[in-house]
Amino acid sequence: MPDLRAEMRKGAESLATAAPPSQARGITSDLSVDEALLLHAAGWEPLDLVCGVAVVSVPVGVWNWGRGAISLASDAHNAAVDQAARALRAECGKVHGHGVVGVRVDVEVRTHHIEVALVGTAVQPADGNDPRGRDAAEAMPFVSDLSARDFTLLLRAGWMPVGLAFGACFVYSPRRTAGTAMKQSTQNIELTNYTEAMYSARESAMEKMQESALEAGGEGVVEVKVTEGPMSFARHAVGFTAWGTAVKLVAEQHQFVQPQMILPLDDAVVTFEAQSLRGAGKKR
Amino acid sequence: MTDPTPEAAVPVARDLPKDAAHRLEELEHGLFTSDLSVNEFLLVKEAGFHPLGFVMGSSIYHIGIQTRKWGESQELTKLTEAMYTARELAMNRMEEEATELGADGVVGVRLDVNYYEWGNDSAEFIAFGTAVKAEDGNSYRNALGKPFTSDLSGQDFWTLMQTGHVPQGLVMGTCVFHIAHRKLTQALGSMGQNVELPNFTQALYEARELAMTRMQDEAGELKASGIVGVRLEEKSHQWGSHTIEFLALGTAVTKTTGEVTLPKPTTIISLDN
Amino acid sequence: MTDLTGSVDPAAPPGPAAGDLPEAAVRRLQSDAFSSGLTVPDFAACLDLGLEPVALVQGFCVMQWGWYGPGSGYMRGMSPYAVASGSGGGYSETYRCPHGFVSAEHRTWGQNLEQPWVEAAWTQGYSSAYARMIEEATDMGAHGVIGVVDRVGTLADTGNTEFHFLGTAVRVDGGPPPAGGVPWSTYLAGQRLTKSIEAGFMPVAVVASLASVRVWAYCMTEYLMEGQMGMGWGGYASSGPQLVDQVSKAHMAARQLARKHVREQLVGDELHGATIDVATRELSAGDEVIDCTLRGNRVRRFKDFDPIPAPRPTVRLG
Repeated sequence: MPDLRAEMRKGAESLATAAPPSQARGITSDLSVDEALLLHAAGWEPLDLVCGVAVVSVPVGVWNWGRGAISLASDAHNAAVDQAARALRAECGKVHGHGVVGVRVDVEVRTHHIEVALVGTAVQPADGNDPRGRDAAEAMPFVSDLSARDFTLLLRAGWMPVGLAFGACFVYSPRRTAGTAMKQSTQNIELTNYTEAMYSARESAMEKMQESALEAGGEGVVEVKVTEGPMSFARHAVGFTAWGTAVKLVAEQHQFVQPQMILPLDDAVVTFEAQSLRGAGKKR
Repeated sequence: MTDPTPEAAVPVARDLPKDAAHRLEELEHGLFTSDLSVNEFLLVKEAGFHPLGFVMGSSIYHIGIQTRKWGESQELTKLTEAMYTARELAMNRMEEEATELGADGVVGVRLDVNYYEWGNDSAEFIAFGTAVKAEDGNSYRNALGKPFTSDLSGQDFWTLMQTGHVPQGLVMGTCVFHIAHRKLTQALGSMGQNVELPNFTQALYEARELAMTRMQDEAGELKASGIVGVRLEEKSHQWGSHTIEFLALGTAVTKTTGEVTLPKPTTIISLDN
Repeated sequence: MTDLTGSVDPAAPPGPAAGDLPEAAVRRLQSDAFSSGLTVPDFAACLDLGLEPVALVQGFCVMQWGWYGPGSGYMRGMSPYAVASGSGGGYSETYRCPHGFVSAEHRTWGQNLEQPWVEAAWTQGYSSAYARMIEEATDMGAHGVIGVVDRVGTLADTGNTEFHFLGTAVRVDGGPPPAGGVPWSTYLAGQRLTKSIEAGFMPVAVVASLASVRVWAYCMTEYLMEGQMGMGWGGYASSGPQLVDQVSKAHMAARQLARKHVREQLVGDELHGATIDVATRELSAGDEVIDCTLRGNRVRRFKDFDPIPAPRPTVRLG
């Protein structure tokens, strides 16, 4: 058990000496203390805060009511993410990082442009040994929106992130003729053309995501997040996106983590918590 | 007490859009996708399963008008049927995608209802989940020969398997109930008193029981030994406050053969926030 | 303009001194009982480290943006030609129109421009507020300030910007007086601070910087941001999604400059737990101002890093 008080005093005393000569590049990292410790324990270290931003134009008239998929908007969105990831990797390469973890993805879809901003911490293995192999590492730094903590968990299990998997698809909501609408108004019936349109769009987005995972050389995608919703400026147009981290098994086989079951004795409440029975939100 | 379980009426879903077929084909070539977090991914592997792909099913359903008597509490059977059918369609399509991938089951199933502005009285019902397959070669499909579905998270799935139980399917029972408006004389009569309102009591009790019984019936069909993680949701959706849908949702499970001993958990007290 | 260290004469006797602190602060800090912004678990963790809370300290400053002052250059409608010469040598990148077409409406010239005057004003507000908080701490004879909470916001409807710092001043049990008479500071408190110290990192100061980049759009940017592709001007063909190069570069520059400014303040130390906030203000088609703030803890390694043993994964049952 380290003597915390002695450590604190030692730290305070160290400030009296001058700062180390700035050969040290002064790393900047947005990892929390826990994440930094876990990363070091896994044999990796943070290098620098890096970013990649891309703004792509969306032509006028794209959002006017039409039929089927809005391919111009989908292409623009996918291109924006692609380009931003490219810029991010370039910054990572400049500091000789092997990849970027904890990437925060901010997307803004506006009437005439789509903006994607990625920010994360570039990392490298402390001893230079990248499980993917030296050449792979230099050729393509990985980009992942996994936290540093999740990254170290995966490493332990023998997996590594290889890239950000992303897919977007925009679609116009379909129309019914007035006659059909009237006929259907009293029936309980599935609206097949709507179903078809929304379903297709979702599947398209996920397919694109899968393709980008395969391009990055991944064997699988974890933490897939699906977003969907109408555009605030054009409510008849609906956008679907699917993104996650592409991963690859780099060890001989999957290493089991063998977790231990624990029972925290933290309950302050004596009564049974019936909230869960009432469907008060599922924790994931 | 009528029980309009509309088994025969549910359309069999052999109608996945071609984009789905294409995407699933890609997944069969070795790439897996999942919306499991890293924690859940590792625990699913610990339980001896491997994720195959992210599967989903959706259906946009128009809920028709049902006439009701203002002063009577009653189940609105047409609406019940509609809500049930719509969700079944979505779930069946999701199961179909899972079957297509050769999965043993689907974990982390989420059932959502979306309302779009352009569809009056219509809603989109979506079911999402991650299809998984056992790595030991045994089949874990349920009594009906279909992949099991469960809304258990990766953590809960692992813990359940440790207890020697296997999920069979997501079971649900639904009941859309109209609560009578009280007559003016009745309302005035009980004003200011502490008194039970027998009409309401009766109505809401009946509605909840109906929902739960139907859920139990579904578990019976799967030949399950029990249901875990039951959730009771009450929503008015878009019908106004006197019409409520009671939804009972849970995961039906069966005990596998052989005794499985649960390792003793370590008790801890965590000293951080 | 005070610098971020807020230097104070170490020879002055301890106790609230007449600086530019409000009178109420002087009275409050003379009290014997300590106050602290720490939660109970954080308080327990601090005592573990041998840190004794002394007082809750704060610093405050309100700044007005002098848009129209001499040399400010930030005037809407003013031609970028005049601004370029007064930019003070910060980042700038020019864009020229590829079409051979000149007209009053057609913006043949554009520029991404760093705005050092905005950055200087922000730094002044931030460091004044910080210095006042440190002054309160120094007057109490504190060695450091932990659990710092900083807030930059607009003051009601006035459009002025307020900078507010709040922290808990502490004394290290058996520790030396602060280096240079200036207490160290950190955003961390409680267990997180303990872990950082155990890992061998000593907090030095809270550092932050603002980078402000102005985009003066040229014709291509303006058209692209308005969705006017395929205009047919001079053979410009639209095939596939078009990247808006100028705006993308400006965004990248804003973040890179913020990082660069912070690095200048680090002087070889490391920055941990950084947060980046970006605010964009659109002025007209294509013209915008991008403000990027980077904040974090400046820390110094005081011992070799002992990697912790691999933590054990668990599953909670309750």
